[in-house]
Amino acid sequence: MDVTNAGFLRITNGNSVVTPINNKAMIRLEKINKTYFGAQPLHVLKGIDLEIAEGEMVSIMGASGSGKSTLLNILGILDNYDSGNYYLNGKLVKDLTENEAADMRNRTIGFIFQSFNLIPFKTAMENVALPLYYQNVSRKKRNELAMEYLERFGLKEWADHYPNELSGGQKQRVSMARALVTQPKVILADEPTGALDSKTSAEVMQILREVNQSGITMVIVTHEKGIALRTNKIIHLKDGVIENIEINHPEQIDFSKEIK
Amino acid sequence: MDFWREIFMALSRNKLRTFLTGFAISWGIFILIVLLAAGNGIMNGVSDQFSDQSTNVYMIYSGETSKPFKGHGTNRSIMFNDKDIRFLETEVRNVGQVSPRIYQNGFATFNDKSCSVFMSGVRPVFKDINNVKMVEGRFINELDEKNREKVIVIDENLRDKLFDEGISPLGQFIFISGIAYKVIGVCEVYEFSSGGNDYVPFSTLKAITRQTKYWMLNFTVNGLNSKEDNEAFTEYLRTQLAHFHEFDPDDTSAIYIRSRQEEYLQTMKILNTLQLFIWIIGFAMLISGIVGVSNIMRITVKERTNEIGIRKALGAKSRSILASIVTESMIITTIFGYIGMWLGMVAAEVGGNVLSKVQEGKEISLSIVPSIDIRIVLLATALLIVCGVLAGFFPARNAVKIKPIEAMNYR
Repeated sequence: MDVTNAGFLRITNGNSVVTPINNKAMIRLEKINKTYFGAQPLHVLKGIDLEIAEGEMVSIMGASGSGKSTLLNILGILDNYDSGNYYLNGKLVKDLTENEAADMRNRTIGFIFQSFNLIPFKTAMENVALPLYYQNVSRKKRNELAMEYLERFGLKEWADHYPNELSGGQKQRVSMARALVTQPKVILADEPTGALDSKTSAEVMQILREVNQSGITMVIVTHEKGIALRTNKIIHLKDGVIENIEINHPEQIDFSKEIK
Repeated sequence: MDFWREIFMALSRNKLRTFLTGFAISWGIFILIVLLAAGNGIMNGVSDQFSDQSTNVYMIYSGETSKPFKGHGTNRSIMFNDKDIRFLETEVRNVGQVSPRIYQNGFATFNDKSCSVFMSGVRPVFKDINNVKMVEGRFINELDEKNREKVIVIDENLRDKLFDEGISPLGQFIFISGIAYKVIGVCEVYEFSSGGNDYVPFSTLKAITRQTKYWMLNFTVNGLNSKEDNEAFTEYLRTQLAHFHEFDPDDTSAIYIRSRQEEYLQTMKILNTLQLFIWIIGFAMLISGIVGVSNIMRITVKERTNEIGIRKALGAKSRSILASIVTESMIITTIFGYIGMWLGMVAAEVGGNVLSKVQEGKEISLSIVPSIDIRIVLLATALLIVCGVLAGFFPARNAVKIKPIEAMNYR
């Protein structure tokens, strides 16, 4: 995979750290509580306070059951919370109607999933173009943009292939292209390398890094230390509270090396 | 435009799913239509049979006594005579015209051709009672009867045996047992009997054969509209005839009284039951079709839960997902429903033609030609389509209601 020639590298300059341009909070959580009411009520998030600045790249770590997936779902407006306030890009995300939530997801957030979540009966290009369909972008424009992003990810020749004809790394690159095609403010990645081998994982992380350096805020949920170390901050979650926040220096890491 | 393109793509990319769903619908409608058509065919066949005949007709046949009565032993055969005819014609209010029926076997010749013949001596009213259908010429009239004319109405069988093609039998004389009869008409072969379709005036045959006892009386009746009327009338006749011929009125084998109206009512009752049965089967078919279609729709939507979740995460609004799923199911059910309906009607039509061909020329008493009521077909098709759409709608509504993250993780 020849990502070194991908478009995003041109934005960055070698090893220099691109710190957040300003301190504007892209994500602010105030006392977020979430309980799942099942046979036994499960208090998953217990008053989370968190601020992620625009352009930051953070990871969320925690054992299974720590609430990290729930947190990501709330950040992605895929799930609602019981109490507290969540500001996304300065806007309060609370009591949104379904349509408002859908719109906000569509325009502000890009998702990357562990299992890629590509639609099996659509080609790579159609998958990438799909978010634009929900923005009522014309078909011609959609396909142009989708091709542009596929090209950036080195997948131009694979545009007409269906997901089952692509490798894991290729699928994840398609899903990254899909996440970016709407030019979102935030990328939320749920175990983006979970289904990939270590070499491909490193490549994906490098792309995510480059994406982040183009100014897009990035939140990655992972349980792999090697992945987390490549972000600026690691938010350790335990039993629904933030245990500590670890500051990293990913600039010291050679991103071209495999993740151990 | 874009919306339709998306739907068309989803349908064409999931060919198997589209086909299976469509097939279930087509099959359901197809079977339903064929079934209803076959049922209608039977109904039509039987009603046709009756519509050929007037129903205000009674037939009395002679029988043998089975009970001793007033010094008479059993096994005495009861035959009818002129007194009975006079009684019926003049004293029984409900009786219209009476035609006895007497028979004679003979040998008919015309020029060098000959053929055995079984003649009936009847009165003019017999034509209406048994719905004799004339091919050419006329039936026996009152004048023939009054003047004991030696005239004969032959059936097509006898005509074909005695007359070369192209020769009109009308006005020709044929000889039967040494007597010349003038042919006045040709009638169709009566389906129910194996012979006796060559008619001469009753008075003529009576004079020739010197018969005074008759095996059978036919007559028309008026004003007997209900089952009760018919029963009372039959009872009255039986009592009167028992009195004349001295047999036990309770002896059911002495004479047989048949009312075609009673037969008609009875057959209609059976037919109505049959029709009800067909409707129940049809309805059950429809229900099972609906259940089948609904189930496939439900599974289809379940299968797409992941896709729904992904689309929602990418910013699709519930309404747009719902609209596309419902539109998809509407397109599938409508197109395939239409195909099924069309195939069913073609099958019914072809089946009808084949059956008519098979039955043609054969002396089959019941012609079962499938026919369809287009309103019922349309109604059933519409019902299936609506149910198919609803069956897609409800699970889809549930699917778009669940949170995208759950939908995506759904397996």
